Amino acid sequence: MPMLSLIVWAPLAGALIVLMLPKEKVKTIQGVGFLAAGVSLLASLALIPQFDRSLASMQFVEKWSWIPSLNISYFLGVDGLSFPLVLLTTFMSVIALIGSLGISHRVKEYFFWFLALEVGMLGVFMALDLVLFYVFWEITLVPMYFLIGIWGGPRKEFAAIKFFLYTLSGSVFMLLGILAMYFRSAPHTFDMLELMRQQSSWDPRFQILVFLGLYFGLSIKIPAFPFHTWLPLAHVEAPTPISVILAAVLLKMGVYGLLRITYQITPQGFAWFLPALVVIATINIVYGALCALAQTDMKKMVAYSSVNHMGYCLLGIAGMSAPGFSGAILQMINHGIIAGALFLLVGVIYDRAHTRELSAFGGLAVKVPVYAGLMSLTCFASLGLPGLSGFISEFLCFLGAFQQWKWATTISVLGIIATAAFFLRALQKIFLGPLNEKWRDLDDINPRELASLLPLVAIMIWFGVAPSWPLNLMNATVAHLLGK
Amino acid sequence: MIEHAYLIPLIPLAASFIILFGAKEDPHSPLPWVGIAAMFFSFCLAVSVFWDFAVGTLMLPYQHDWRWFSFANSVAGKSFIDSFKIGVYIDPPTAIVLVVVTLVSLMVQIYSLSYMHGDKRFKRYFAFVSFFTAAMLGLVASSNLLVTFMCWELMGVSSYLLIGFWFEREGPCEAQKKAFMTTKLGDSGLYLALLMIYAKVGSFQFPQMQQFFSSGYMPTTAATVIALGVLFGAIGKSAQFPLFIWLPDAMEGPTPGSALIHAATMVAAGIIVVAKLYFIFLAAPLALETAAWVGLATAFLAATMALVTYDIKRVLAFSTVSQLGFMMCALGVGGYTASLFHLTTHAFFKALLFLGAGSVIHAVHTNDMREMGGLSKKMPITFVTMLIGVLAISGFPFLSGYYSKDMILASVWHHNHTMFWILLFSALMTAFYMSRLLFLTFWGNDRDHDKFHHAHESPALITAPLAVLALFSVIAGYGLARDGFVEKIFPTPVLASASVAVEPPSRVSSPEARMPIESSEYSSPIAHHPVEEAELPHWLALSIIGLILGSMMLAFLFYRGPQFQTAAAIRAALAPLVTVLDRRWFLDDIFLWLVAVCDYIAAAMFWFDTNIVDRIFVDGWGLLMRIFSEVSNFIDWNFIDTAVDGFGGLSNDLGIGLRSLVVDGQVQQYLMYAAIAFSLAATLILAR
Amino acid sequence: MTLERYLMVSGGLFLIGIFGALTRRNIIGILMSIELMFNAANINLAAFNHFLHPYGAVGQTVALFTMTIAAAEIVVGLALLLAIYRNTDTTYAEHFNLLKG
Repeated sequence: MPMLSLIVWAPLAGALIVLMLPKEKVKTIQGVGFLAAGVSLLASLALIPQFDRSLASMQFVEKWSWIPSLNISYFLGVDGLSFPLVLLTTFMSVIALIGSLGISHRVKEYFFWFLALEVGMLGVFMALDLVLFYVFWEITLVPMYFLIGIWGGPRKEFAAIKFFLYTLSGSVFMLLGILAMYFRSAPHTFDMLELMRQQSSWDPRFQILVFLGLYFGLSIKIPAFPFHTWLPLAHVEAPTPISVILAAVLLKMGVYGLLRITYQITPQGFAWFLPALVVIATINIVYGALCALAQTDMKKMVAYSSVNHMGYCLLGIAGMSAPGFSGAILQMINHGIIAGALFLLVGVIYDRAHTRELSAFGGLAVKVPVYAGLMSLTCFASLGLPGLSGFISEFLCFLGAFQQWKWATTISVLGIIATAAFFLRALQKIFLGPLNEKWRDLDDINPRELASLLPLVAIMIWFGVAPSWPLNLMNATVAHLLGK
Repeated sequence: MIEHAYLIPLIPLAASFIILFGAKEDPHSPLPWVGIAAMFFSFCLAVSVFWDFAVGTLMLPYQHDWRWFSFANSVAGKSFIDSFKIGVYIDPPTAIVLVVVTLVSLMVQIYSLSYMHGDKRFKRYFAFVSFFTAAMLGLVASSNLLVTFMCWELMGVSSYLLIGFWFEREGPCEAQKKAFMTTKLGDSGLYLALLMIYAKVGSFQFPQMQQFFSSGYMPTTAATVIALGVLFGAIGKSAQFPLFIWLPDAMEGPTPGSALIHAATMVAAGIIVVAKLYFIFLAAPLALETAAWVGLATAFLAATMALVTYDIKRVLAFSTVSQLGFMMCALGVGGYTASLFHLTTHAFFKALLFLGAGSVIHAVHTNDMREMGGLSKKMPITFVTMLIGVLAISGFPFLSGYYSKDMILASVWHHNHTMFWILLFSALMTAFYMSRLLFLTFWGNDRDHDKFHHAHESPALITAPLAVLALFSVIAGYGLARDGFVEKIFPTPVLASASVAVEPPSRVSSPEARMPIESSEYSSPIAHHPVEEAELPHWLALSIIGLILGSMMLAFLFYRGPQFQTAAAIRAALAPLVTVLDRRWFLDDIFLWLVAVCDYIAAAMFWFDTNIVDRIFVDGWGLLMRIFSEVSNFIDWNFIDTAVDGFGGLSNDLGIGLRSLVVDGQVQQYLMYAAIAFSLAATLILAR
Repeated sequence: MTLERYLMVSGGLFLIGIFGALTRRNIIGILMSIELMFNAANINLAAFNHFLHPYGAVGQTVALFTMTIAAAEIVVGLALLLAIYRNTDTTYAEHFNLLKG
């Protein structure tokens, strides 16, 4: 049974069914949405026992000819690098769908676009053919544009168009890079595995050029300094579940592309770029944390914290060592979980108070103890408290980077302090101190919100105390990536 | 019993979760007993381990590891799967520290039953305390430096929670944030040290690291950098100069919580980690010397600040800082044994003093010693136990502090005489300000009649722990110092010792490749001063006792009388100095200034982000596209479109001209034209 | 009888039809003239079929179709005429000049 195809296309089937339903039947639409995303999730979970952790090669491969005249194929497969991300995507989609139950405006279109988005995201992580990859990559843009533009905040149209045009302009350069590789390969091919085999015969200058094209597209998605400024705006304007997806999955596509395509197909370009990459990573970490420190809007703060956390991923990658790569992949997963939870939590309070200004709150811990507890836990996870998931991945990233980049790593470690500072300040301003009388009647978190948050919190603790499960998934692949 | 040592931290951890999630919040919840029972269990386990060791039936160190997680690693282009272990490593110092921590925590919890009774977050407080203690026990017992670091950080967050326990007020909120951030600043040093250790050693297991360092694979420079990193961590955690600013503010939490922070957990952790990693310091003489001077500065500065404070808890806080300075200084001069000995005794009498102060505060509802006075009549048990605590910390002969402080002074004497005199002066100041505390609080007459009138002796749940701790404050010194038992518990680690049988380091791929450095390159300070010599000359030892009694006398002279005029007069005479001390040597201001600078930088960065980066890389990109599209549009509109329009216009004009000639709306006429045209065409075609 | 005869008949019929369609003022007359032209075409079809493909029946079949279509066309034409008549009270072609630009 072609499980990967099932995972990718189940949401599409759901989306088409949603399209055929009358728009008044909100419950049915939501049911179909959950069913489709649930099928994807269950199918990906069913793959776990079959996934061979000792293999570094691609598993569950599906390959059919698609456009034979251009040698393009429908080629799917997962390894230890992409499989955790596929699991993250299917899981976070269901979580975000739970969060989406609060959407009451144009539900049918919302669910259609959401499911379409899931197709794109899953496809990116599974595609092993560059054209297929690019198609899925672009597929994510359109639903995102509508999801931000229709269900977003006050400046949603501007945010949506900025997001769309900016990321699209990046991917144009990526397309150029892809085409360059296609015409360079000996029998012209878009097959990533084939290109990985052929790259050793390409000259460094070509690899560097191709790398730069690819990097431009990928770095916008990551987002790496200085191409990160679309993120705060998009996050602030996007509805809560879409912020969750944006932070949890979409940003990972960039780092994934960096590891899958640039590192493996243009290694010489990658190596050439490393010194710049480590500087960018350091800037992302320190500068992102400092910018977050200056925020008064909770969502914007969390958005900048994403910039900061993706900096850890980049740092781990720049280390070019196995712990760094493991850390980067694990950090992607953990950041997905933690940032997702943070955005959900910000959404919870926004739904009640209709403001996200930090200074508007105060002393809420008395009124909403459960919410305060969850928020504190998530913030601590995000600032890398040991025992929660962020710590191990951050530590592995630093461990991987330290052997090669001592000073950059040292500066980045200082960035951790700034991270701690802005989270603590936020916690203090929202929850501690005398109760702001304005919020005397604030309700604590409700069961639906709790249902979307508790799985995330459970994973935060699980991965923090016993990170062996996610690490075992990727160990063989990472060892293979770095081993010669 | 030792094979179940892993339960010592785990049982309180489990208890804290049971308390936290077990039931709804209730000011009279019975759940705290779970925490007390768990702590009692851990205490018994720790005692049995220590007892087995003390009577000689158990050989320490004991180590047991479990697999924790494995990850891919790569060295020089070769990749393999590396794994981290989690486990317990119990050596003699660990064994006694476990006993001390569990005992103090147990006492604190029993005490808190009464002290925190009726608080609306009663249950949560006990959960935090259990969690705090569990983290400390984990830190002490762990066999893996990474796990130790994790517990270290968890302790930071527990102290954050405890200090800010009454978060409705602004003071605790600021204090908890300050504590967390300051210690976090220190933690970054330890974090870097960890990274560097792994880069060099390839393992976080204590025995492996010890083996690696002691056998001289580590260059002195690297060892120095690592040791300074660890030291920086300890400076943050153990409130050493210049990061001690958080500890006086940490008084905002519940008093028994402060007792825990000051006596058994948080601040002791810094010293313990330095002690656990002492082999690194031995390989780095410069770092040792730094530690000694940092400790000395801390001991001195904190003591001076304690002289002028009227807040009873602040005096104790400064005294903790000062005593920690003693310990750090001792570690720095090679007095490993003395330092850990003092840590142990200090835990008892400092917990006692804090709990006693809590009892006083509970009775008079103020922290200000000027509003107390004469309380010995009202609270005899508290007074007697506090008296024992004060005498112990001052170094009164044959109480516990006397032995340990003597030992520290002795080891400093053999290292550097200047240091010794400064440290001795600090010790005398300690005796002075502790006596001052006692006299102000319990002696003389009541200065605030109202408060005095309402004061009463605390209930048994409070006085019983005081009594137990007082007992230990008396006997711990003699009990441990007798027959050099303390040397057996805290044997000074020596460089290049093969005292611990360990398997070889996991990733020392080729020992031949990393030849041991010539042994002359690293000389340890203790090598010149063997342990046997570490005793003071008799004349000095005796005069120290005299001096200490003298300074206690001085305190009595200054602070006797109803309004302590003598002290007030001296205070007025030295007003500038007092201001400096009151402002804590302006270190707080420097810290606040740094925070403000950081805020300013953050704001500047954000401005840069929105106005420069966003403008250039996003809007600028958009602008470029706009300009490009405007140009295209111009060309399109003015050239291409005009051509198209021109063609269309031509056809239009032609049509209009024709229409005016022929059209009158008659279908038959049209048909006629069509027929004519057709016939013409047919004729032409056929005629060819 | 040769093919030419048939063609001459049909040609004459067609010319009469054309003449009628161009000169009659009454629309009914125009429609009748159009019918004449249809029939001229039908004669052609039948004749060509008979002489060129004696064993086939395609031409005749098409002629039958044409008749059907012609009938339908007349129905539409008359319906249009009725509608026009209702609005303008006339059936004379020169009164219809809505197409004048």
